[in-house]
Amino acid sequence: MKRNPIYKREAMVSARSFRLALVLMIFSGILAVVALLNMYSTLAQVRLTAEIQYTSFLDLFLFITILEFAMLVLIMPAITAGSISGERERQTLELLMTTELTPHEIVQGKLMGALSTMGLLVASGFPILGIVFVYGGVTVPDIGLLILCYMVAALFMGSLGIACSAICRKTTMATVMTYALLGFLVLGTYGINQFVWYLNGMQTDTYLTAAGQAAEQATSGGFLYLLLANPASTFLLVISGMTGREPITEAVTSWFGSRSQNWILTDWIGISLLLQVVCAALFFRVAVWAVRVRKTPARRKNRKKFTVADDRKIE
Amino acid sequence: MLRLEKLKKTFGNDHALDGLDMEIADGSLYGFVGPNGAGKTTTIRIIAGLLSPDGGRLEIGGFDAADSPARIKRLIGYVPDYFGVYDNLKVTEYMEFFAACYGMEGYKARRRAEVLLEQVGLGDKRDSFVDELSRGMKQRLSLARALIHDPQLLIMDEPTAGLDPRTRLEFRDMVMGLHEQGKTILISSHLLTDLSELCTDIGIIDAGKMTLEGSVREILERIYTSKPLVITIQDDLTTAMRILKDEPLVQTITVKGSDIMVEFAGDSGQECDLLKQMIDNGVRVRGFMREQGSLETVFMQITSGEKERVVLSYETESDL
Repeated sequence: MKRNPIYKREAMVSARSFRLALVLMIFSGILAVVALLNMYSTLAQVRLTAEIQYTSFLDLFLFITILEFAMLVLIMPAITAGSISGERERQTLELLMTTELTPHEIVQGKLMGALSTMGLLVASGFPILGIVFVYGGVTVPDIGLLILCYMVAALFMGSLGIACSAICRKTTMATVMTYALLGFLVLGTYGINQFVWYLNGMQTDTYLTAAGQAAEQATSGGFLYLLLANPASTFLLVISGMTGREPITEAVTSWFGSRSQNWILTDWIGISLLLQVVCAALFFRVAVWAVRVRKTPARRKNRKKFTVADDRKIE
Repeated sequence: MLRLEKLKKTFGNDHALDGLDMEIADGSLYGFVGPNGAGKTTTIRIIAGLLSPDGGRLEIGGFDAADSPARIKRLIGYVPDYFGVYDNLKVTEYMEFFAACYGMEGYKARRRAEVLLEQVGLGDKRDSFVDELSRGMKQRLSLARALIHDPQLLIMDEPTAGLDPRTRLEFRDMVMGLHEQGKTILISSHLLTDLSELCTDIGIIDAGKMTLEGSVREILERIYTSKPLVITIQDDLTTAMRILKDEPLVQTITVKGSDIMVEFAGDSGQECDLLKQMIDNGVRVRGFMREQGSLETVFMQITSGEKERVVLSYETESDL
């Protein structure tokens, strides 16, 4: 199968990059230190009380998965926001556009490159994540769901970053735009729900006299469904279900007020992942359109008048 | 190879191209000249597929650009007035990357890259990083990159701008070599001296319109015959004037000291006859020549819309 030339180049350059090796080393180092400290503290407790706290291994699992997701949210925009705008700034996008490559192939190659770099970072944490399998508590399907959640979130955020990069001419602007949109999706949707829930709680409080009843009655209403497009909320639901602290369906119904079950709340994770994939496809289309349309315009040079001397006439 | 018909392009209220016509024959080396803002770069970007025209027709290698953009990309190699290089990529990797963009991979791509790097004199730099190359080397690499898929038409937008004279000469030799190999080349430049020595055909664009187009020989011949004949005589002005007045090809005569300026409609053979006639009649002729014309003078006449002038402060723009 013919490999996408853009992806091939991105993979080669990132493999050669000292920065990526450094990030990998620091990230794996942090995970390893945390895992060793966790195991040391568990063993120390065994020596002291002759009791093994199996939940501490789940805490380790939680820590690693959350750290990996946080890294995904923070690094993916940084990798993708400069992908197309960087080509534009280097003036290589025009050269690519004169070749047989289509805008679709260019965007696809960029996205694949970003996903493989991110995949490498996430996968580098798996050996340490595997420690929990020694003690049990997390099943292989759980890990499968977690990886799916990572992949979809990476695709979603990567496509968003590339779309911003294709729309903005400057990498700085694209980076700001990507982080702003992602900030809205991750923190903004949470903030809106919190705010609406709080307002509804205050309103309900004026009608209900019994203390404690207000909080039970108030919800954030339909704003809860904004969280379907929030990769962080879906991830939290996934790991909440994996660690068995709270069943997923119950967790959703208790977010921002107590509500009754419906088909969306029941299949929250599936719907959210599907929505993120659909949004990713939409962002991808936007990026392809922007690459095709928003080429750098011809540099219009100022027309200069030539300085000339008087006519030379020989009469 | 290339034909533009009534090509139009506007940017807001600015008519960059206003019905431009252009025709480049197979195997020709076409010099595209015009003042800044005349529409050269816009034309080149339209030909390269980077801009869409607002009107008119573009045909390359018999294919209409509107109907077969993918086929046209195969036919064109584009060397812009910038380099477009990647950090962290070696020269061979850069070449192989662009080969892959045209569907060439493996041994074929490597071999083609090696041949082209040798051709542009970068054979010993194949393992250097692209961003470490000098300006001249980057421009040569840019040329090699544009040739990676063996295009029939090579488009170069001011390729020698900013290069030192030695590199410019080397680059010119490379372009001539490509022309000898049968490539059709469109080259835009301000360096009219270079173009007049290099090109087989010239097109002068001004305000988005083609104002003069033809082979360099034709244009220079036209310039030549339009220039006055300057005859410097030692003595016997009366005899000389009589001969000139009797000559039907002489249109006007102006005398300034010992110099006689003659507007002569004849060719070089008829000039020889006139000289012989004067000498046979005892006129002692010290000088007999046409005032030299050049592409620069034509360019200045056309683009300023005035009579020929002496260029004094044009060096920064054209290296005249």
